Amino acid sequence: MIMEGRRAFGFLLTIVIIFAIAPLMAILFYTFIKEGHVDISQFSRMFTHDRIWKTLGNSMVLGIFVIIGTTIIALPMAFIRTKTSLYQYEWLDIVLTIPFMTPPYIGSMGWILFMQHNGFLQQLIPSAAWMTDSFFSLFGMVVIMSLHLFPFLYLMLKNTLLRINGSFLDAALIFGRSSLQNWLKVVLPLLLSSYVLGSLLIFIKTLAEFGTPATFGSRIGFQVFTTEIHSYLSRWPVDIRMATSLSLFLLSVCLVIWYFQNLIGRKYTYGVLSGKTPARRELKDKWYIRTASWTFVGLVLLLSIGIPYFSIIVTSLQKVRGDGLQAGNFSLASYQEVFTSGSAGLTAFLNSIVFSIMTALITAIIGLFIALYIKKGETRKQQILDFFSLMPNIIPGIVFVVGLIMFWNAPWLPATIYNTKAMVIVTYCVLFLPYSVQYIKSSFSQLDASIFQSAAIFGRSNIAVYRRIILPLLMQGILTGMMMTFIISMRELVAGLLILPPSVETGATFIYSQFEQGNVGIGMAVAVITVLMTVIFMFLLGWLQKRGGQANA
Amino acid sequence: MKKRHFKFWATAGILLALALAGCGNKEAKETNEASAKTQEEKVLTVYSAGPDGLAANIQQAFEEKTGIKVEMFQGTTGKILSRLEAEKNNPVADIVVLASVASMDGLKATDQLQSYEAAKNKDKINSDWSDQDGYFYGYSASALGIAYNTKNTTQAPTDWSDLAKADWQNKMNIPDPSLSGSAVDFLFGYTAAEKTAWSTIDSWKKNGLQVNGANKEALDAVITGEKNATIAGVDYMAYKAKADGEPVEIIYPTSGTVVSPRAVGILKDAQHVESAQAYVDFLLSDEGQKLVADAYLLPGNKDIAVKNRAALDEIPQLTVDWMGAEAKQLEVLTKFTDLFR
Repeated sequence: MIMEGRRAFGFLLTIVIIFAIAPLMAILFYTFIKEGHVDISQFSRMFTHDRIWKTLGNSMVLGIFVIIGTTIIALPMAFIRTKTSLYQYEWLDIVLTIPFMTPPYIGSMGWILFMQHNGFLQQLIPSAAWMTDSFFSLFGMVVIMSLHLFPFLYLMLKNTLLRINGSFLDAALIFGRSSLQNWLKVVLPLLLSSYVLGSLLIFIKTLAEFGTPATFGSRIGFQVFTTEIHSYLSRWPVDIRMATSLSLFLLSVCLVIWYFQNLIGRKYTYGVLSGKTPARRELKDKWYIRTASWTFVGLVLLLSIGIPYFSIIVTSLQKVRGDGLQAGNFSLASYQEVFTSGSAGLTAFLNSIVFSIMTALITAIIGLFIALYIKKGETRKQQILDFFSLMPNIIPGIVFVVGLIMFWNAPWLPATIYNTKAMVIVTYCVLFLPYSVQYIKSSFSQLDASIFQSAAIFGRSNIAVYRRIILPLLMQGILTGMMMTFIISMRELVAGLLILPPSVETGATFIYSQFEQGNVGIGMAVAVITVLMTVIFMFLLGWLQKRGGQANA
Repeated sequence: MKKRHFKFWATAGILLALALAGCGNKEAKETNEASAKTQEEKVLTVYSAGPDGLAANIQQAFEEKTGIKVEMFQGTTGKILSRLEAEKNNPVADIVVLASVASMDGLKATDQLQSYEAAKNKDKINSDWSDQDGYFYGYSASALGIAYNTKNTTQAPTDWSDLAKADWQNKMNIPDPSLSGSAVDFLFGYTAAEKTAWSTIDSWKKNGLQVNGANKEALDAVITGEKNATIAGVDYMAYKAKADGEPVEIIYPTSGTVVSPRAVGILKDAQHVESAQAYVDFLLSDEGQKLVADAYLLPGNKDIAVKNRAALDEIPQLTVDWMGAEAKQLEVLTKFTDLFR
């Protein structure tokens, strides 16, 4: 069959190496080699700074608290969505993923505008002034990040609970334990492994997060790895070697966590997926369970969507920001300015769209080839390629960005894409390739071997098999992957901040720079437009997934 | 059979790779070609730490006047310096505009600039802000003052020491000097000229001074009423906000403040030297200087009238020598960040 054998492997590996591995090598090289000699003084210099230990401490503390925060939100939510009558509202799942799809820097800007001294909260409820001081602390940062990341953990827990629901509990019931014991001995242990995996992923995501620390964290003086790397690269005095050293350190921390995650994953994964589809039973709740569930869901939605979106929208509509919330202080002037043809905001937004579409297309093509080669990951080579292509998922984006800058500026390169728009697309492709690989792979894993066998029997040529049978069957996975890539590329901030060529801005960098230097109202207007488009795409995505059944559970 | 399909896919794959690489190379080639035919098709790459609006206006006016196409990268002084550092191996920028003369002087000291002594109008430009040998020209400046919210302030401050009073407790901020070139200039100039400066800064800290992002972020906190005053606020932003109807006013402390010049220079590795020189000429010309004044900045040419703001001689100034100041600025910055970390 095609996409097998050595040549295909070598070819795919070359692509992955040039685009994903070389940048990491460049970081290693830049950190340890100075004028042709191995020099570890750079790396060890890093550890003599108090600053690095403080940064490490901050990142770890933040990671742990965010795990706790997301658990508090995600665990009850997962139970509510599986064990109470709320299970039937499928739309809740889409709404609940909106916080994760909202660009994190926009979310935290919304929170800052809402909570700050004389912010919207104090204008609405003057007596709530005491909350401001307690919110602008580590606590507030954990709240914002937990509200952003919880959908991730929630979906993992919910899917596990759905699977346990059926036969396991029936069996436990038949063998006559009390319901409390059933819970302790059956459900909890089964849930635990997926909880640990999910929370480690949350930890890695927290370490890799740039948007919230850059906006909210800088406000409260809370530095983490990503912001430190960014500041060594963009603040005076510039220290590039320090940035690469820190990147290397962050990379190692993430790889260690990822290793543990694999270890746990392999040891404690139980086959909860049996052939039988869990039967749905009618659920009838007591009124107080119902009320409590709806209250909880409402509260989470209010905090994760309501407040940040309220602030963004109001700010984009304000005429004089110093006048606050007052009748007559609202106008569509910011939007008018954005939609004037050739305005900086509109150009930036359109740039984002072009970059994102290109990225979605290219990653879909490469992802398709890689997925076709990897199949179910049975041979060693397939596993290697699988590992490399999913690697950008566990390595923080900023590390790749630093590496890409170093690599494409290397003096020995005959030609470079640095300072061109192609650089942006290449960076996005490296960062977001895992999404399309994952979605296409999961689509592929649902194809039964019998499809290939019958196709072979009926004597079609290989190309025809692929064109007529496999591609159409994979199409849903490809499209879902493309949409996902598109949404994620639209919100990418740190790559844009560091690699955009002159005269080019993306929506994300535009919004960020308006907050830093320019007109916040216009920045927020672009934010509203971005977010609106994201939400529309998400509902399209939901519709697409539903059409294909349980394709990507 | 098998082998043939191999070949098919291998070729398809290679084509894909070429197409991908082509994406990059094509554009790279375009820039190369573009630079090859500078003479016919004039382009210029500018890295500017100017206020957004001004940089865009200058770009537009310059393009209309000369027909030279400008590629503009805007960022803070820090971002531009780091970009220059990262691109050392394949430089693209021709012109650099920084919000700090000390950093500009640092670029000159490390041999990254080229001299343009024949600049037109250079005699009219403030010589304190410019390099003697023509490596850079201080085409504009901002004065640093205390910007305060007029709605929430009953008594306006008059001097730096006022902000150590209880009225201002927890109600003031300062732009982060590692992000804002002008804030570094302020700290450097203030601590060099005033003996009591560090103790005043310490008293601000005790009174709850917050370090608050870049210039606009700090001023924004005052506009929305989160804080009441910004120390070392750049005045042109305050004037601009005031003109937009926001409740903001700026004062210059009576004991004197720092005027932070912004300078333009031509990079040594510039590929479009002629266009670059035209750009410098344009910035120093009366037309360019008027655009500067329209953005509420102080023009480098004193003869150009300022607009709705205090003129240079109305501002009580501390005397500061910017040349060779970069190393000392770094010391001040470190001391400040240690104090506030």
